[in-house]
Amino acid sequence: MTTTAITAIIVILYLIGAPILGGILAGLDRIITARMQGRYGPPVWQPFYDVLKLMSKEKAAVNKTQNFYVFCFLLFMIFTGAVFFAGGDLLLVLFALTLASIFLVLGAFSSNSPYSFIGAERELIQTMAYEPMVLITAAGMYLATKSFFVADIAAFSTPLIYYLPGIFIGFVYILTIKFRKSPFDLSTSHHAHQELVKGLTTEFSGPTLAMIEIAHWYENIFLLGIVYLFFAFNPLLGVIVALLTYFLEILIDNSNARVTWQLTMKSAWIVAATLGMANLIIVFFKLSV
Amino acid sequence: MAFLKLAGTVTKRMGMKSACYMYPVVAREFTKTTRGHVELDSADCIYCGLCQRKCPTKAIEVNRQEKNWTIQPLRCIVCSGCVDVCPKKCLRMENTYSSSVTSKF
Amino acid sequence: MSKRTIIPFGPQHPVLPEPIHLDLVLEDEKVVQAIPRIGYVHRGLEKLVEKQEYANMVYVAERICGICSFIHAQTCSQAIEDLLPIEVPERALYLRTIWAEMSRTHSHLLWLGLMADAFGFEALFMHCWRLREKILDMVEDTAGGRVIFGSCKVGGVRVDIEDAKLKDIVIQYNDLEKEIKEITDVFVEDYSVKHRLVDVGVMSKEDAHVLGAVGPTMRGSGVAKDMRTLGYAAYKYLKFEPVVETAGDCYARTKVRIREVFQSIDLIRQAVAQIPGGPIAVKVTGNPTGSSFQCVEQARGDVAYYLKANGTKNLERFRVRTPTFANIPPLLKMLGGCELADVPVIVLSIDPCISCTER
Repeated sequence: MTTTAITAIIVILYLIGAPILGGILAGLDRIITARMQGRYGPPVWQPFYDVLKLMSKEKAAVNKTQNFYVFCFLLFMIFTGAVFFAGGDLLLVLFALTLASIFLVLGAFSSNSPYSFIGAERELIQTMAYEPMVLITAAGMYLATKSFFVADIAAFSTPLIYYLPGIFIGFVYILTIKFRKSPFDLSTSHHAHQELVKGLTTEFSGPTLAMIEIAHWYENIFLLGIVYLFFAFNPLLGVIVALLTYFLEILIDNSNARVTWQLTMKSAWIVAATLGMANLIIVFFKLSV
Repeated sequence: MAFLKLAGTVTKRMGMKSACYMYPVVAREFTKTTRGHVELDSADCIYCGLCQRKCPTKAIEVNRQEKNWTIQPLRCIVCSGCVDVCPKKCLRMENTYSSSVTSKF
Repeated sequence: MSKRTIIPFGPQHPVLPEPIHLDLVLEDEKVVQAIPRIGYVHRGLEKLVEKQEYANMVYVAERICGICSFIHAQTCSQAIEDLLPIEVPERALYLRTIWAEMSRTHSHLLWLGLMADAFGFEALFMHCWRLREKILDMVEDTAGGRVIFGSCKVGGVRVDIEDAKLKDIVIQYNDLEKEIKEITDVFVEDYSVKHRLVDVGVMSKEDAHVLGAVGPTMRGSGVAKDMRTLGYAAYKYLKFEPVVETAGDCYARTKVRIREVFQSIDLIRQAVAQIPGGPIAVKVTGNPTGSSFQCVEQARGDVAYYLKANGTKNLERFRVRTPTFANIPPLLKMLGGCELADVPVIVLSIDPCISCTER
């Protein structure tokens, strides 16, 4: 079999498997969260029931264009993951990710609800907060492996975590923002948002909201894929670490209040500037000398 | 400064039984004193109508001629006032909630 | 000149347990002004006084609000007893005190949960309510109802708590105290919680006085005003000091309520240790005349009852000034100039009880 064929199979597996895995992960998340809070929690398939029900609901939109934006959000999220799992260029992947989230912001802006509006503004602030660390991650991976291609990074023989421990911690830090978990669930959260009703997604309903959910599942799997890259030298270890990271995020979610956007911004940049940059500089000198 | 102060509690709770119970499947345990709903032992009732007069929500209706005693469970606020005034002590407060209904009356 | 936006906050909002509407005038994320609107759950309970006999008004008063329930019934009974006038047996006074303090502990735990929810801490919210549930079970075991106690009546109380059960309550509270401590420590010490509470919604001692704040909202600003020191019910026999914090921010108000939970548990212990035997109620005869004014400390602050009677079985006037009503002007003062993100926290910090406010 040619490499192209293998890549094609992986991409197709991703397209079908990611939402299923992401949904199960979301279901497990809800059960674990419930256990932590002393409740029973829903069945593991609940996220799928939710999405199926959303699909069957009436298409009601304040502004027709928002459906287009949300569709683009889903499309680019799938594209991001597909390029990533096909072993493509990491920079392309990360910028496609940003593009996807910008489409969601546009969708939120296009409705006139003040809550959705503020949610969109906060999402932009969040993007600004996590973006430096994401770029540092890509740069660090390049410095360590001399390639921006995910396939090369994954095939790199030495464990990446050995070169990039600081960047890994920094990445896990901003992962809380990406997973929309406390303390950084500023723009929207999985449950009712105490400040902004539902924030970014206030004005989305029915099939549109279902699309956002599915895009979120794709996104989660892709983000855990990046975590996996740090431990790619041993696939089993990689998967275990990715799952542990997700568990850690649930634990952090359940033992933190939501912080203000100012602190989110400050702390994310401080983490990027200290852990990220220091790690980057050390790797740069270590490998170039 | 303490970070993740609740982390210990939530991890501990993960291994423990849920504080909730699956309500309709697992029956609720009522205490002896629970005010649930009013029941009448009609054999002893003299249809005096005291309960009807005392009821703050006018949920009880007594007809002395027809020897009829009715209560509208959805109006009843389970204050137990009627049980207190009953001269024959034939009204009693059951400690189980009245069963669900699908229509109002 | 910056652009102003008006954000409708409520009457339906995830953080609000009850409907109140605030129009928040924003400049960016800064609140310039908050305009309140109430009247969503008005039920006209005060007017019912014309239709209900005075003894039945206790049931009505208890249903003004589901959280402050017992203390409403207690205040109403006290006012009517003052009008008749009758002496309530000592044991009944002690039982009322015990129930009132149980009601305060469950109300404060409920509030702590809602506060945790307001700053986005769902797990803490669930754990507060888990502990509250145990108190509700105890209430059900002693009074018969869970939130509507239904155990207070004119002339005393309707049910007695046996001494064995009273001892059992103290034992359960001793166990509960440790668990409550574990949870409330999070409020006091956790970084992310303090980040959301400290220096948020500050109200000075002068403002608290001028705007007429009551209860924990006032005590959080350093004013030691607690109606329990008036010595109604059995409080005259118990030892306690009003809980005061001086900072005047949301953190101080949270700390006041946390300390009050432990104070209430202590009061219950004292009351159980001292409770005398004897009857629990006296027979009520005759109709009330004259007027009576009663002030009682609820979980949210002092509630004021004004009752006027004319010698018939119906009262003439039944007026309730609830603590939340008095706390709304201070709330509006606190909201001016705060961040949008802090609005839920500040609104919750006065412990709004809208059902009480609108009756």
